[in-house]
Amino acid sequence: MTTATKPPTPSPHVPVGLDWQLAIAQELIARGVSVAAYVPDSRLNGVLAALGERDIRLRNLAREEECVAYAAGQRIAEARPVVLMQSSGLGNALNALGSLAVPYRLGIPLIISMRGTLGEKNPSQVPMGRATTAWLGALGIQSFSLRQASEVGPVISGVLDLAFDAGETAAVLLEPELGGGRA
Amino acid sequence: MNVNDVTRTIMQCRPDAILVSSLGTATSSVRLVTSDGPHFYFGAAMGSALAGALGLAEAVPDRQVVAVLGDGEFLMGASALWSVAAYRPSNLTVVVLADGAYSITGGQPIPAPLHVAAVANALAGTRGVTVSSTTELAATLRAEPTSPDAPGAPLVIEATITERTWPGPSPFIDPAATVRNLRASLAQAPAPA
Repeated sequence: MTTATKPPTPSPHVPVGLDWQLAIAQELIARGVSVAAYVPDSRLNGVLAALGERDIRLRNLAREEECVAYAAGQRIAEARPVVLMQSSGLGNALNALGSLAVPYRLGIPLIISMRGTLGEKNPSQVPMGRATTAWLGALGIQSFSLRQASEVGPVISGVLDLAFDAGETAAVLLEPELGGGRA
Repeated sequence: MNVNDVTRTIMQCRPDAILVSSLGTATSSVRLVTSDGPHFYFGAAMGSALAGALGLAEAVPDRQVVAVLGDGEFLMGASALWSVAAYRPSNLTVVVLADGAYSITGGQPIPAPLHVAAVANALAGTRGVTVSSTTELAATLRAEPTSPDAPGAPLVIEATITERTWPGPSPFIDPAATVRNLRASLAQAPAPA
């Protein structure tokens, strides 16, 4: 398992104190990820900017469901995509996950920025955030919480192993403790 | 024109293409016409096939990819047309089987006409055309350049289906076989000139 042991190289696009965003990008690049399909989220900006700086293809698609299906098309050709979204968009992706990614065993890595959990101030975000791990679990998709920058290497790398080697769609949850959320 | 007429014409004009078929008549017809050839068959996930075709097309830029979509399927994932228009892979062609009904669930009518060709023309990154015969479809496909570096926005062909019959075998495909067969084909097939 590859881990990011070196401190991340500074990026002009990643805010001070949010080096975890850069570390995620560097781990994805080290493991050969070639394209990121995503729906925007403020906490993903630094990850995506760092990927873009290294010429990783960025695909801002209209819906989270599209991101999963796009990644399925990449995986059936044995390419290495990653899907990034906010937890509030997971509901939009459930059909593509449960009826495509899982039964076809295409092994798609998901990076989900959590809303609706610790510190959430928007009541409308809470139900989907509270249900995120349960939704994933009900489909047999394992999820792993990332709370500290020091865990980026093993967690990201481990989820990529599950996806690309074991053929299991699996998720990293970017928890509020990492920082970068709404004040 | 029926669905099999469309699929057969696509295969005659694009014999080396990888087809991406949506659940319903599209997957059934591609199974029949290609004798379960190595294509990306959707057995569920309605509304996802166009985005799947976009991902596949970008993963295999030296191959032609043709998405064969029911009109009900297209409507469920219509936003993907905007994504195709944004990234416009030149090796992707989209064919929408416009019969105005949800065939897989019993033929219930789609309440409003799609006018998908007109929508595709309204977007900056796609082009649309309507065809109502295999002659028109073949002429349209043969007029399109297929070299990997061909410029131009993806073509969206709205194929008017007037003969509504169930085209072939069950669309409830084996996902594992679909993945295995397409991967084996991609690993072995030389890129066409």
